[in-house]
Order: sequence, then structure tokens, then C-alpha cells
Amino acid sequence: MLFNLVKKDFILAKKYWLLMLAFAIGAPIYVETQTHTMSGGLLGFLVTVLLSEYMIFNSVSMAEDKYKGSALLSATPYTRKTLIKAKYLFILGIFVGCYILYTITAFLLPSYMVTLNLLSLGISFLIVAIYYGFIVPLQYRFGYEKVRYISFFAIFIVPFLFPYIWIWFQSRNIDWQTIFLFPSVIQELLLFLLALLIGLISMLVTIRIYSQKDL
Amino acid sequence: MNPILEVNGLQKDFPAFSLQDVSFSLLEGCITGFIGVNGAGKTTTIKTILGLVLKDAGSIKLWGKEMDRNERELKNHIGIVFDEGYFYEDMSIREMKNVIAPSYSNWDEAVFDNNLKRFQLQPRQKISTLSKGMRMKYGIALALSHHADLLIMDEPTSGLDPLVRSELMDILLEFMQEKGKGVFFSTHITSDLDKIADVLILIDKGRIVLNEGKDVLLDKHGLVKGDQRLLDQQTRKMFLTLHETEYGFEGVTDKKIRSTPVHERRTDRKADYRKYHAGLRRGE
Amino acid sequence: MNIIISNVSDQPLYQQIKEQIKAAILHAELKGGDLLPSIRALANDLHVSVLTTKRVYDELESEGFIITRAGKGTFVAPENLELLRESKRHLVEVKLTEAWETARSLGISKSELYAMMDLLFEEDEN
Repeated sequence: MLFNLVKKDFILAKKYWLLMLAFAIGAPIYVETQTHTMSGGLLGFLVTVLLSEYMIFNSVSMAEDKYKGSALLSATPYTRKTLIKAKYLFILGIFVGCYILYTITAFLLPSYMVTLNLLSLGISFLIVAIYYGFIVPLQYRFGYEKVRYISFFAIFIVPFLFPYIWIWFQSRNIDWQTIFLFPSVIQELLLFLLALLIGLISMLVTIRIYSQKDL
Repeated sequence: MNPILEVNGLQKDFPAFSLQDVSFSLLEGCITGFIGVNGAGKTTTIKTILGLVLKDAGSIKLWGKEMDRNERELKNHIGIVFDEGYFYEDMSIREMKNVIAPSYSNWDEAVFDNNLKRFQLQPRQKISTLSKGMRMKYGIALALSHHADLLIMDEPTSGLDPLVRSELMDILLEFMQEKGKGVFFSTHITSDLDKIADVLILIDKGRIVLNEGKDVLLDKHGLVKGDQRLLDQQTRKMFLTLHETEYGFEGVTDKKIRSTPVHERRTDRKADYRKYHAGLRRGE
Repeated sequence: MNIIISNVSDQPLYQQIKEQIKAAILHAELKGGDLLPSIRALANDLHVSVLTTKRVYDELESEGFIITRAGKGTFVAPENLELLRESKRHLVEVKLTEAWETARSLGISKSELYAMMDLLFEEDEN
């Protein structure tokens, strides 16, 4: 059942697949060649994933708002909880899709792109989780129209802010090793866990919001 | 006849409008027409029954079970058709079906294909290309493809030409042939109900004003036409609405059986009840 | 069986239908054991509500004219001579009362009425 709902969102975003593909390939290459940052492919991937997520999730949200398909869906045996879970799975799905595309492209064009390491993947995942962790409940609470300017703004800020934050971080020379006393692999996995936790909390909040909403 | 749906004391407050103490039952084997002017509360009532709008108070029971606690199971037996459709317009008929179908445990693909053929709809057609009539038929095709026992329709006939409307009525009558089925449809077009409604429920400004078998309603009320010299204080009181011209008067009374003969009386049930409805609205 | 409902009659719809079915049974147009249409089918054909046809069948059944067998349908009850005779008499009684009241309101006396009846019967027998 969840699968069909996630599939629904992908079908709604059909128009943007090609564009996303172009992005997934073009953006990292562009970013890497322009900025030459030694971020292990992070910046390139981050830009790709954020823009793809934004484009696709945004177009689906717009379609949902326009056609009010959720009204019909809520009248079926689909529970509102299921509808929300599917939405979050969809966001996850876009992320996974971007990662696969990126990795394939990096594999095929090693001179332009670097394959992502776990740390970069973890950081990207965390950023996506934080971003959507905020935006999704807001959108369900206040509606797509009101929230879209915020999300638009935020999406564009991040790639610009990110290099500064990154450099600031580097300059601090924080020895993550000693702080956490964990091997780096575990630390990287913790990033994923944190991201999942944020996602889960956000989902629960959204479920709560949606259960109180009149359609 | 057992009740399929029991609505009790439904209350919902909006800033500019509220449903107040809405109570009624739908009996099995009956087609119930839900009438009211635009804005009277028909759609709100239907949405509240389906859980799209959250009620402030009241209970909704289907087949004796509380909707609040058994929502998913009960919705499996309900087929819904909305005037707006609420379909994703860019999807094809088949794609939209694939979104809805998996939620129903009794989905019958063969029945759906049959319905499509019958309504002359192609699975690959994009929903945005469908006319209003085809869209309604599509909604019905979906609603009738999971062995639903109760069909709830919100203004299914608005914007449709008389031929399609008549087709819809035939489909509903066919649906009712099987035992234990019920239909609940809202409309502001009273002529739709002439043909097939068994029970009429009238809602006005958020309150249920009338809930009666159609024939009883027709039997009780009469359209009286006659010489206006026959109108005096006594006789005037017998009418719900009265329209006087220099050529005579015409009025609706709900005291037909008991009324003392007013000369030159002629009554016609069908015309009656349209006038009655109009009269109620004016008189309320 | 013909059932013709009048929209301009004073009689409630259910009563019109009920009487016509009863008349059909009394005139042997419908015989014991004949299958009657379902309440839904009858309602559809006559363009009345199922609540009406249900009431008709319920009342006819309680009066003994028809029988419903669960799962099988509704049938004309097997011939009940007593019931039929009573009902036939009742039908005639109703008509006679109507005739008498009309006569009375027009100032025609009882003996005059009897004379009229004799005349009519004689004519009929010839």
C-alpha cells in the first residue's frame, strides 16, 4: 500500500525526472570544477540532492495542492498516517535516487567526479533530514502556498552558506576522534542515525498535524 | 429495513457556518436524496461522515459500528464520488486507479475493466481530457469496483446534461437490485430525485429540516390552484406558500388529507414537491 | 396485472397500489402461488419509493393476501376462500355505500334506490 502511494508521487513528478537526471550529472561536475574544494564530492552532491529534492518535492506538493487528491485518498481506506509515511518515504526515495545517479556518473567519469565517501553521504543525509524535518510539518500545517517561499529561500541559501560553514569547521580543527572516542566509521553511521531520528520525529509531528486537519 | 448509516447529533463549527445537531439514518435498500441549496451544508455533512472534516460532536455509525474506531474497515464498504472528482488530472485513468485500488481489500479488477468498457473509457486516457460526464462515470467506475455496499455521492449530477443524468439514475437503480445496498447522494437539482429517490432529507443552513419517504411527502402535500375569492383568513392558514395573481392563486399545503374541500382543486404530485421545496426555502 | 397510479387522486399512493393488487387477486388475475415482483422492482416500475411498495407488501401480507418466503420472494397466498369471500363482500360494500351516500345527498330515497337497483340487474340479466 505504501509503495503505491510513493509510486503516485513519482508519477506526479514525471515531468521533472529528465531534469533531475541532467542535474544529477551536470551539477556535481560543475560545482567540482568551479570550486575545487576538497570536500570529497560533498558540495557537488549536496547541491544536486538539495536541488533535486526541492524541484521534485515542490512540484508534487504543488500538484497535491492544486488537485486536492488527498481528499479522495482520505475517503478511501488509506489512513492519514499512511499518507504521511508515504510522503517521507518519497523524500527518502529521491535522496537514494540521487545517490545512485551520482555514483554511476562518478564511476563513469572518474576524472570529473569523486565517488562519495561515507562521511559526505552522512552529512548530506543529515542536512536533507534537517531541512525537510522542518519544512514538511510546516507545509502540512500552513499549506503549500504559504510555506513555499520559505523553502525556496532556504534551498538557495544552503549551497551558498555551506562553503563558509565548511571552512569555519575546518579551521576549528576539531578533533572529532577525541570528542567522541569512536572510530570514524561509527561517527559517520551516527550521522545517519541522527538524520533518521530527526526524520522520524518530524514524521510523527506531521502525522499529528495532519490528523487534526479538515480537508 | 436495517439502517446502514446512522448519524447522530453531528456538530461542526466554522467561522461563517455550522452544522447543528445533524441526525438521520440511511436505510438499506433505499436511495436517499440529500437536498439543499448551495451552502446549506450538504458537502460538509458528507465530508464529515467520511472523516475528511473533523466533527466537533456527534457520532457516525455504519452497519452498527462506530466510524471513529473502525474507519479503515468501514471505508472498504463505501464507494465515493465527489463532484470535483479530486483526481490527479495529469494522470491517466489507469494510473489514478492504481493509486486508489490497493487501498481496497475487495478491489475487483475484472469489474473495473467491465465498467470502463461500459462507460466507454480508455485506460490510457488522461483525466484532464475527460468531459464532466466522463469524469463522473469514471468516479462511478472506481466506486463500483470494490463491491461497496454504500455509495455516497456529492452532487454527482451537477453540470451534466439530462441524458447522462438519466444514465446515472439507471446505474444507481441497477446497483440497488442487489440486497443490502444503499445510495446517498446530494443534489440541488430536485428533478433528479423524482425518478429514483426513496427518501428525501432536506438540509438548510446546517440543520436537517426534513427526513421523509418521498411518497409520504407527496401524499401529504398538495398544490392547490383556484379562484382567489376562496381565500379567507381560515383558508390562508392552510398554505405553506401562496402565490396570488389577478388570475387566481396557487399554493402548497401540507394539510391535503385533512383539508376541507376548497373548490376547483387540482393537485399534481410531481409539481407539488418541487413547489414544496421552493416553498420551504422561501418560508424558512 | 395492471397497476395504474393516479397522481391527482386523493388516495395515498400506497393505498392505490394496495387496492389494485388486492383487486387483481380477487378477480383471479393473480392466482395463489404466483410470484410477485420484488419491492425494488415494483418501485422502479411504478416510479414510487421502495418504502411505499414495502408498506403495500407488509400490509397485504398481514391481511393474508400474500406471503414472503425468505430468499425466494413474495407470492400470492394460496387461495383462502373465506378471505376471498370476505374481501369481495367488502369491495361491494364500499361501492354500495358510495352509491347510497350519493343517492342520499341527491335526495333519492331508499325505496327509489332499490327500484333502481332492480332495474339495473334486470337489464343486466337480459
